[in-house]
Amino acid sequence: MSRIPDAENEQPLRERIADNPRPAMLWVAGFVLLVGVEFGALANAVMAMPWELLMAKLSFLKPIGTPLAVLGDTLADLPTLLTRANFDNSGWRQPGGGWGGTFLGLSPATVWALRVVLVYAYALVFLYWMWRGYLTFREHYRYADWTPRDDMVNRFRGHSWGLFGFVVVFMFVVMAIFAPALGTTTVERTIDNPFSYETSYLNQETGQVEQILIGDANRGSTSEGGGSNVAPMTYDKYDRYHPFGTMPTGKDMFTFMVHGARVSLFIGVVAIGLSGLIAAGFALLTAYYKGLVDLAVVLVGDSIMSLPRLLFLILLSFVLQNTWIANIYNGGLLLALLFAGTGWPFLWRAVRGPAFQVSEQEWIDAARSFGQKPSVTMQKHMAPYILGYLLVYASMTLGGIIIAVAGLSFLGLGINPPTPEWGRAVDVGQGYVTTQSWHISFIPGVLIVLVVTAFNALGDGIRDAIDPQSDSGEDGGAEVAAAGGSGA
Amino acid sequence: MSRWRYFARRLLLSIPVLIFGATITFVVIRMGPLDPVAAILGPTGDPQAYNRIQDQLGLNQPLWQQYIDYMTNMFTLQLGDSWVLRPDTSAYSLIVEYAPYTIWLGFWSVLIALFVGIPLGFYAGLNPNTWSDYTASFGGIVWRAMPNFWLAVILTEVLSQSGGYLFGFDWENWLVPVSVIGRPDLSNLFNPDILFPAIKKTAPAALVLGSASMGNEMRIGRTAVLETVNSNFIETARAKGVPPRSLVWKHIFRNALIPLVPIITGEAYLLIGGAVLVETVFSIKGIGYLFFQAVIQGDLPLVGSLMFIFILLVVIINILQDFLYTIIDPRVGYDGGS
Repeated sequence: MSRIPDAENEQPLRERIADNPRPAMLWVAGFVLLVGVEFGALANAVMAMPWELLMAKLSFLKPIGTPLAVLGDTLADLPTLLTRANFDNSGWRQPGGGWGGTFLGLSPATVWALRVVLVYAYALVFLYWMWRGYLTFREHYRYADWTPRDDMVNRFRGHSWGLFGFVVVFMFVVMAIFAPALGTTTVERTIDNPFSYETSYLNQETGQVEQILIGDANRGSTSEGGGSNVAPMTYDKYDRYHPFGTMPTGKDMFTFMVHGARVSLFIGVVAIGLSGLIAAGFALLTAYYKGLVDLAVVLVGDSIMSLPRLLFLILLSFVLQNTWIANIYNGGLLLALLFAGTGWPFLWRAVRGPAFQVSEQEWIDAARSFGQKPSVTMQKHMAPYILGYLLVYASMTLGGIIIAVAGLSFLGLGINPPTPEWGRAVDVGQGYVTTQSWHISFIPGVLIVLVVTAFNALGDGIRDAIDPQSDSGEDGGAEVAAAGGSGA
Repeated sequence: MSRWRYFARRLLLSIPVLIFGATITFVVIRMGPLDPVAAILGPTGDPQAYNRIQDQLGLNQPLWQQYIDYMTNMFTLQLGDSWVLRPDTSAYSLIVEYAPYTIWLGFWSVLIALFVGIPLGFYAGLNPNTWSDYTASFGGIVWRAMPNFWLAVILTEVLSQSGGYLFGFDWENWLVPVSVIGRPDLSNLFNPDILFPAIKKTAPAALVLGSASMGNEMRIGRTAVLETVNSNFIETARAKGVPPRSLVWKHIFRNALIPLVPIITGEAYLLIGGAVLVETVFSIKGIGYLFFQAVIQGDLPLVGSLMFIFILLVVIINILQDFLYTIIDPRVGYDGGS
C-alpha cells in the first residue's frame, strides 16, 4: 500500500481495477449471482411503479417507453428463488391429518416462517456482500491507507444505539422491498379482487376438502370483537394462517402491513430525496452568494414554515384529490411531492449553519481566487461537508413523515383506499381496542413507534460517527424541528 | 448588530412572511384545481345558485382583483363568512365558539409537557449515564416516536372501558363522573363543580397532545444541562465555593433554559397541527376539528380565514420567541447570525 502517487500519475478507478482485476472480479461474480437469483423480483418491484399513468401524461415518451415496458414485463416473469410459487403456504388440512398443497406438506405457518427467514437471510447475505465490496475497495484499490471515512465507519460500528436503529431500519426496508414475497397471501387475492380467487379448506362438518371464494372466506374470518375474531398467530376456519390476525373485513393483516410498509417507505424516501436535494441546493447557493439570495430563500422558507404543516397538508390533499397526479401510485406520489414541497425549509434550516461555516473556510476563498467555477466549488468543496448533516436530518425527518402519512390516512386523506396504509389500519381498528380484536389498532402503532425510533437512532448514530465532538445542544432546535416538524 | 436592531429586523422580516403565507393559501384555494363554488354546491350543479354564489364570493372578478380583495380583507381582519359548515355565520363567531376548547386543551398539554418534560430532562442531565438517565432518555425518545392519533385511540378506548380492565379502577366514575369523549363544559370555570370535571375530561387528550413535545423538551433539556455543567464558568463558580444548591438553581438551570426557548414556543406548531387528530379522536370540537370539517366539506372561504389566523398565530409566536431570546440571551445578534 505504499503507492502514494503524484497528482499527475493518479489513475482513475477503472485503470486501477484493470491492473489488479482478481478481487474485483470475485466480488462482481458474487454480486451477479446474488442479484441473479432474485432478478425477477427486482424487475417486478420496478414494474410495480405506475408507469402507465406517466406514459399517458407524457405521451412523447411512448416510443422509448413501450419496448422498455415489454422488456420489463418479461424480466419480471423470470423465475426467482424466494417466491410464493416455490414456497407455497396456501394449503388445506387433509381429512386424515397433515397438510395438502403446501411446500413439502409442511403447515402453512411453517412455510410462511421459512419464507420470512429465507428472505431476511438473503437480505443479510446481500448486505454482507456490499460490505465486502467496501472492504475490497479499501484493501486493493484505494491509494490511501486511511481516510477520515474509515473512522466514521468504525465509530458507527461501535455505536450500539445507532446499530439498533440500523438493524430495525434494515428490517423495515427489507419488509418493504420484499413485500410480495413476505406476505402470507397477495394483495391481489385478498384485498383487491377477493371474489376472483378460490381457496381450498377442510370443511369440519362434511369432513371434505372444499373450495370457497376468498371473498366469502374473508367474510367468515372477520375480526370485530365479540366472538368474531382471528387473533395473531392463528389459523382461521379456512386453514389460512394469519401472523398478525385479520382485519375487521377478514383480510389478512400481515399482507396489509408489509404492503403498507412499502407505501410508507416510498413516500418517505421520495419526499426526503427531493427535499434533501432542494435543501442542499439552496444551502450551497445561499452560503456561497449570501446577501440577497440568502434573504430571498429565508423569506420563502420562513413563509412555508409559518404554514401549520399538517393542516396545510390536509388542505392540499383535499384540494388535489381528484387530479390525475393523485391517482399515481394510489396517491403516494402526490403525498411524497407535498411532503417534499413543505418539508425542504426544515432541512434547509438544519444544513444552513454548516454550509455557512464551510463557506467561511480559507479553501473556499482559495478556490474562488484561483478562478474555480462557483458550481465546481460548491460541489467539490462544500457539498461533502454538509452531506453528513443532511443524512442525519433526513433520517430523523423520515420518521416524522411516516407518522404524518399515517395520520393523514387515519383521517381518510392521502392514500386512496383500499391500498394498504398503516394509519388506516389504526383507523379501522379504532372501535375494537378493548375487545379481543385489539391487534388491529395496536400492531400498526407499535410498528410505527419502532420504525420511527429506529430512524431517530440511526440519525443519532450517523451524527456521532460524523462528528464525535458535536453535541446536539447547539443545533438541537433545528434537529427537533426537523424530527418533529409534522406535528402529527 | 445590537440586540434591538436584530429584533427589529426580525420584526420587519415577519411582514413578507405573513404576505407570502397568505398568498400561498390564496393560490391553493382560488387557483387550485378545486372550484370553491362547486365544492360549496356539491353535486347538484344548479347554474343559478352557482352564479349567485360566484357573485357573492366575488369569483367572477379578474384574479388580481380577487387577490387584492382577499389580501385586504385578511389583513384588515375581515374574515368573511362560512358557506357550508354553518351558512352565513361569520368566521369570527365560529372561532369564538370553537377556540376556547382548543385553548383549554392546549393550555393543559403545554403545562403537562413543561412540568414533566423539563424536570425529567434536567434530572437526566444532572445524573448522566445512570440507569435513571437511560430510562428517562429512552422514554423521551419513545414518547416522541408515538403517533398522537394512535395514542389517543388506545387511551380513549382503554379509559372508557376501564371498569372491566384496570383492576376495577373505573376512570369515568373516578372522583367526578365524566365521559372520556366529548367537549368539556367550560361555561363557568370559577365554579369548582364545573372546573374539576372540565380538567378531568381534558386530561387524557392533553396528555396525548403534550406527549410529543414532552419528549423534545426532555431531550434538549438533558443536553443543555450537560453542556452547562461541563462549561468553564460552572467550574469557576465551584472553585470559588458556591454551594451546590445555588450552583444548580442559579447557574445551571438558568443557562440551560436558553436552548429550551425555541422548543417551548415551537410547541405552538405541534399544538395547532396535532389538535386536528387529537380533537377528532376525542371528539372535542375545537378549532382543529372546525378546520378539518371545513376542509372535508369544501368550505374553502372559511378554510382560508382559519389558515390566515393560524399563520398569524405562528408569526406572532415567532416574534415572541425572538423577543424572549433578545431578553434572555445577551449573545443574540452580536455576530449578525440568525
